[in-house]
Amino acid sequence: MSDFYLDFIVNGETKHWTIAPGDLLLDVLRREGYFGVKRGCETGECGACTVLVNGKPINSCVMFAAQAEGCEVLTIEGVAEGDKLDPLQEAFLEYGAVQCGYCTPGMILSAKALLAEHPDPTEAQVREALAGNFCRCTGYLKPAEAIMAAARVYRNVRPSSARAKAERRSALHGKKR
Amino acid sequence: MFDHIERFYRPTTLREALLLLRKVGKHGRIVAGATDIVTQADRSSRFLIDINHVGLNYVRGNKRGCLIGAATTMAEIEHSPVTLAFAGGILAKAASTCGSIQNRNMATVGGNIANASPAADTAVVLLVLDTQVRVANSRRSRNIALTEFYSGPHQTVLNGDLLEEIVIPALPGGGRLGWSFQKLGRTETDISLVNAAAGLQIDPRGRIKWGRIALGAVGPTPMRARNAEGLLLGNRFSEELLARAGEAVMREVNPIGDGRASAEYRREMSGVLARRALHECASQAGCKQ
Repeated sequence: MSDFYLDFIVNGETKHWTIAPGDLLLDVLRREGYFGVKRGCETGECGACTVLVNGKPINSCVMFAAQAEGCEVLTIEGVAEGDKLDPLQEAFLEYGAVQCGYCTPGMILSAKALLAEHPDPTEAQVREALAGNFCRCTGYLKPAEAIMAAARVYRNVRPSSARAKAERRSALHGKKR
Repeated sequence: MFDHIERFYRPTTLREALLLLRKVGKHGRIVAGATDIVTQADRSSRFLIDINHVGLNYVRGNKRGCLIGAATTMAEIEHSPVTLAFAGGILAKAASTCGSIQNRNMATVGGNIANASPAADTAVVLLVLDTQVRVANSRRSRNIALTEFYSGPHQTVLNGDLLEEIVIPALPGGGRLGWSFQKLGRTETDISLVNAAAGLQIDPRGRIKWGRIALGAVGPTPMRARNAEGLLLGNRFSEELLARAGEAVMREVNPIGDGRASAEYRREMSGVLARRALHECASQAGCKQ
């Protein structure tokens, strides 16, 4: 079998990895040390392996690594800026939304994608965004509260850019259901 | 887990994909969203052909209907202005229930149809829309009515060909229309225990010009309930007619029992969902209840 390469970007860094053609994205990321990408059900149900591919949450356990060629991948390791936690991470700690922590990376990445698209989400939107991330410890109330709180922080931090993006989106797509 | 995969092909044109498919024959498998392939027990494929970069990612609407590329994701269908406006938005609604956001960002409508799950949510909607699928190999392409496409659970007439496009004809004029999609699952994004779709047209004299009903997860393939449809023809909408149609649906379906639901429960629910769907259609079409 000839060598097969994956060229893509992980957390802002360009990568050139040798992979097998049938490798799953989850396995490749963990092999390279991204252990924040959790191995859960391996059938695309639980969301523990969630990463963002070009800004969209996907289950890395049901995606071939080769499908990520040329894409930008964000894992939990790339969410904080150095030692400075993301407002979502701060809020998860503050609101007690983390217990065993296994579902947390996936939840934070799902939430990050939600807030990029809906800077001022309703609680229903937050809950829908978490529908693919199973938690077997605390449930969903505290994560939902944390995400609503982080959304407020994001809006105060950079209200102009987030609002402008949301307005552009709604102008493009009309009113969402 | 997929150690036996020898090559992963990323063709950039449809022609290239079709030639590859011909070359690798029965050892090849088409990858679109991959969500079904990875979770299925079948490990016989040696070659994977990714069709995400061959231009099959689109939703187009015009006077002749709606064309959807096979590699269009559920998330795209869920948010497309074309599908949101077409037939009461039932295809967008069905797509929005196909698993979690993570799955909907990957899973494609072509995959949902080609994998031929009896419970596929988009299938019942496409059946009531009288959909055809465009199927191609390197020598020719042809349209097949979706009703002729399935040959059994997870089986189709594809026979190594590629499902290229979903072809939905224009909606019939000359009367008021109503459409509905109904799903029963443990959660909103879970696989359906039973799903149903319906469409109805009321003529200017207030009679049902035609009705279409499709059911999923209650037989070997997604199916149209032709006997129940026949009962509706030419009648005025009434609760009594609705009850008779629901009973006809229950006689037509052929469910199995499994870990999720018994055959009896599925049969009972097929009648309930069909009635709910027809009810929603009738109120959209302005029938007095």
